[in-house]
Amino acid sequence: MELIITNLTKKFQNMIAVNQVSYTMTTGVYGLLGVNGAGKTTLMRMLCTLLNPTSGTITLDGKDIFALDGNYRKILGYLPQDFGFYPDFSVYDYLMYISSIKGVCPIVAKQRIEQLLKKVGLSKVGKKKMKKLSGGMKRRAGIAQAMLNDPKILILDEPTAGLDPNERIRFRNLISELAEERLILLSTHIVSDIEYIANEIILMKDGEICVSGTSEELIATMPVQVWSATIAKDKVNSFLQAYKVSNIKTGQEGTELRILSKQQPAENAMLEAATLEDLFLYYFGERAGEEDDV
Amino acid sequence: MMFKYELRKVFSRTSNMIAMLLLFFVVVIVCWFAMDVSYVDKSGKTKVGPSAVSALRKEQKKWSGYLDEEKIRQVIMENRKIVSSPEYQSDNIRESQIAYNKGQGIMDIRNLLNHSFADGFCDYNYYQADKLTEELAPQFYKNRIRLLREWLDNEASEEYSDIEKEYLIRKYENIQTPFYYDYITGWSQLFDYAPTVVMITMLVLGYLVAGIFSNEFSWKTDTIFFTSLYGRNKATVAKIKAGFCVVTGIYLLTMLVYTGVTLLYLGAEGWSCPIQIVFSDWKSFYNIEVWQEYLLIVIGGYIGCLFISFLSMWVSAKTKSAVIAIIIPFVILFIPSFLGNINTPVINKILGLLPEQLLQIGNVLDYFNLYSFGNKVFGAVPILLVLYSLLAFVLVPIIYLEYQKK
Repeated sequence: MELIITNLTKKFQNMIAVNQVSYTMTTGVYGLLGVNGAGKTTLMRMLCTLLNPTSGTITLDGKDIFALDGNYRKILGYLPQDFGFYPDFSVYDYLMYISSIKGVCPIVAKQRIEQLLKKVGLSKVGKKKMKKLSGGMKRRAGIAQAMLNDPKILILDEPTAGLDPNERIRFRNLISELAEERLILLSTHIVSDIEYIANEIILMKDGEICVSGTSEELIATMPVQVWSATIAKDKVNSFLQAYKVSNIKTGQEGTELRILSKQQPAENAMLEAATLEDLFLYYFGERAGEEDDV
Repeated sequence: MMFKYELRKVFSRTSNMIAMLLLFFVVVIVCWFAMDVSYVDKSGKTKVGPSAVSALRKEQKKWSGYLDEEKIRQVIMENRKIVSSPEYQSDNIRESQIAYNKGQGIMDIRNLLNHSFADGFCDYNYYQADKLTEELAPQFYKNRIRLLREWLDNEASEEYSDIEKEYLIRKYENIQTPFYYDYITGWSQLFDYAPTVVMITMLVLGYLVAGIFSNEFSWKTDTIFFTSLYGRNKATVAKIKAGFCVVTGIYLLTMLVYTGVTLLYLGAEGWSCPIQIVFSDWKSFYNIEVWQEYLLIVIGGYIGCLFISFLSMWVSAKTKSAVIAIIIPFVILFIPSFLGNINTPVINKILGLLPEQLLQIGNVLDYFNLYSFGNKVFGAVPILLVLYSLLAFVLVPIIYLEYQKK
């Protein structure tokens, strides 16, 4: 299975949300990382055939996904960022309905719903109305619906939004379990969500893919090093203006900063191993979270 | 499966349940009004309830049969007897009531006499019958045609073309006389309140179906819906089917309850009489029987509700807004009120073909709205039924195409 994106562009009036994106995905977990407004959701909506591209193509095994129509949607699972539900349906009815529109026959759907409810930890609330669920539970119901048709392509837009730390761990484990023989693309702006499970990470900025590769490959592309240094409190501001600082920890002996810099920023600065969070800061800097999502 | 859940989406909403409950209460109230028949007994006391219905039926049944010259003569004589009675002449209310008691049996036929012997086609004088003598009985049916001719030659001479005038006169002449008369209070009461029931049902139906398409967007379920295998085909069809079934089921149930309650209480006799014996239908040029008018009211109302509901569904699919879709039935209902002041033949012809006319077919049967196509003349009723059946039918693929491309 090969999903190829070629010169994909999406314009909304005068704004270019996705610009000349080309990328090839096979099976495995792909993490789409970028700040709000980077174009992740627009790209995902095009991959889900919800939006027609302004130009460019998306093909699955050589065939245009829009021309494949139902045959493509048959193998697609999607959890949108803004996950909606039918408020007066019970969790079970909601999943039965989604099964029906996904073309899963009722007998198979019943079995699958039972399995999925167990997997996402919603077995006990199957008869509860969707509107009565907590935010995290709703999100888990959303993850379950995306997997009802046992999709070969699973697209998850901000799947961990609203989940508590335990739920996020459970979710990561679930994705890892599902990753075999499947293409999973998940977008997030939370680095830890994909750090451990993504085979490949795609960084999007201003509608373009700025860099992609494994976690190690990406970190290696960073032309700066990561330093940690403890400095006097009155000098913190000057460091914040001069460098990109990925962490600030205030202690009794001063403030410990995690600094991205080509050269040693201070005499006592110690070289540290770079992480994805450092990479994220390097590419997106202080702009992270300033714009609405696109 | 999809269809079942689409119906569940409609019926699981609290606001929709409230709307249906409201409809139920309105039907109950309308039934109560429709069943409100009174009878004045020999002592002049007004009675209501089943005993009043039974007594009135018994009195009017005495006069059932063909309204031939002899029967008309008898009615005129009976009326004269009542009019000349001391009770009728008295200023005492109780005495007047006693006189009224005597006239209840011939009340319906007396009203027809008022129509037939009116000074002009558009006139109605409640006391006209009191001036009649038995010798005038043979004029009863002739007057109907005479008054029409006079009206067409004078007041309405500019309103209709020659073939339309001929058409109306032919229709009047072709009606089978003498009319058969029977107790028809059940049907006349049913017809009187039918437009209210149909219009309220239409408004509620418009509300129920308005969200079928747009709710996917307001609930933000559209993305999952459209990325599913059947989202752009079978699931959209299931929505249309659900809308159709909601309209059909609720409409038929409402009409069944309304008809059942009213006719069970007041009686269904008179179903085979010509509609012209119903007070408001005397002038109608549609030569049909009472049961046929009822069918036209039910079918017309159904087609109207279906068309307006489909229109709401299309607006809902197009605009993604249930609010705009809900407004549509109200707009359709109130447009004639805004245009009603402009009294020109062209506007009248347009008004006669607006979909809200289907909701009050009983009244349309009494209007003189004619449409000519070459040498053929049609009344508004067949045109309305055919036109809006076709439009409702055409709206189905339009709704489908509109929604599946979202």
